[in-house]
Amino acid sequence: MWWTIAIYIIVSLFIAYLSRSGKQTNMTSYFLGDRKLNGFVSALSYSATTYSAFMLVGLAGLTYTGGVGAYGFEIIYFMGVSLVAFFGPRFWLVGKKYGYVTPSEMLGDRYKSKKVAFVVSLFSCLFLIPYSAVQLAGVGYLLQGMTNNAIPFTTGVIIATVLAIVFSYIAGIRSVAWTDSLQALMMIITSTVVVLLIIHGLGGVGEFFDTLKANEPQALSVPGNGYFSFLTFLGLTVPWFFFSLSNPQVSQRLFMPASLKSLRTMLMGFLIFGFIYTMVSVVWGFSASVMFPDLANADLATPRILSSELVPPILGAIVMVGIMAAAISTIDSILLTLSSLFARDVYGNIKKNSDDRQQLLVGKIVIPVIAILAYLFAQSNVSLIAVLSVASSAGLLVAVPAIIGAFFWKRGTAAGVLTSVTVSGIIVILFELFKIKPLGLASGLWGISISTVLFIAVSLITKAPKEKADEFLTYLKTELKRNKIV
Amino acid sequence: MKSRELKWALAVLAIVLLGYLLPFTVLTNVEAWYGSFLLWTVLAVIIIMINYILSKNWGE
Repeated sequence: MWWTIAIYIIVSLFIAYLSRSGKQTNMTSYFLGDRKLNGFVSALSYSATTYSAFMLVGLAGLTYTGGVGAYGFEIIYFMGVSLVAFFGPRFWLVGKKYGYVTPSEMLGDRYKSKKVAFVVSLFSCLFLIPYSAVQLAGVGYLLQGMTNNAIPFTTGVIIATVLAIVFSYIAGIRSVAWTDSLQALMMIITSTVVVLLIIHGLGGVGEFFDTLKANEPQALSVPGNGYFSFLTFLGLTVPWFFFSLSNPQVSQRLFMPASLKSLRTMLMGFLIFGFIYTMVSVVWGFSASVMFPDLANADLATPRILSSELVPPILGAIVMVGIMAAAISTIDSILLTLSSLFARDVYGNIKKNSDDRQQLLVGKIVIPVIAILAYLFAQSNVSLIAVLSVASSAGLLVAVPAIIGAFFWKRGTAAGVLTSVTVSGIIVILFELFKIKPLGLASGLWGISISTVLFIAVSLITKAPKEKADEFLTYLKTELKRNKIV
Repeated sequence: MKSRELKWALAVLAIVLLGYLLPFTVLTNVEAWYGSFLLWTVLAVIIIMINYILSKNWGE
């Protein structure tokens, strides 16, 4: 096991080193790759950033526990990526024209308010640092389990933290994107091979589903064994449907492709990757149901499959390292995005007349600071950290009305954004903290509903930045038509 | 949002609604691969096709 971890680290560091190109002396170069990323690397990096260690551990475990509803949950998220087809070109066009580095900077400019950029970026940090911490802790547990405690939890978390810092720091988004691509390719190939081997070992596709139907017929319908009631399904899926807009580490990717053609390659590449990977992860979970029907803990499904006689030990070791790499590829992207948010929208708005070079310096200093913060959270047992991590998808959802309004509603105002984001964000945190579900609806559903109502109501009674809205939307209308997008 | 985009946005919305409603209603008693599993797979493929059509002219 040690040698597979060592090879992964050496190859990744080599690729990160090779990815350096030209001088990266400004924010756009370091955090957006000069807006020149090619479509193929963008697609793989978007995939690696989106799909963390959750897929082969969490989703497989969720399938093991709740059956086919887990597949539906992931497919609803997958359908939500269609939002990129509508918002992607709009992000890309205004990003290029106005020089936006972060999605919150875009909102601040569109609504003519530095406070908007400041507040939206702070909320992103509030939810995503704890989310990263939980991912780091996941790597710690994984390495501990993989090596029978030869790598203790703390050492595993330190390894993940250091790698995330190094991958982010060496060449900014370039080193992140290229190491992401390596991880995504390795993961999709090895996990698909494992699933094909298992299905073959269990007698082929037909027999596989026949056995599943005979042993656990409820696993093939919803609510099945009752795990996925409709309200549970709704509460889980709605925040993830909007993931491509609400999470800055992926929406920032819409600024990066070299051209609209590259953006299209990114979208289509991700959809094909995501479809295959979702199918693989769910069949993986079903395989565990067939092979090990009485596991005490669903999280053991993946380790048990990888150590089964159907999977060659070397392949099992590679997939385990791939799962660790999947967590790191998500963490380093979040790290880089949060650093750019802090440098651009927090420091850039507090320090008057700060120039691009100063912001880049701050961004580079902040990378290890945020990583160490996430490391400390991962080591702590503070319950609020777990609450904020669980609430992250629901909490980030509250900015969605403001993002949609930026492109489609000229009456939207800064006051509307500030009120909707802060009030509904705090409500989501309180609901998660005290485990409240009014009317049986999850916090994310309340968050997006309250946020939408507040954004519209407050905007209607306050003054919109008419001149900026007209200029922004007229430019988009012209360019979308010129590029044959509408 | 122009009529072409609006048309496809409504198509995506209809598919999402089917993805929510059918598994919990008419397919809830179909305990086989050709139930919800097949439905969500077909809907995902349709979504890929819609995105392909929607982005066909980008950068042309």
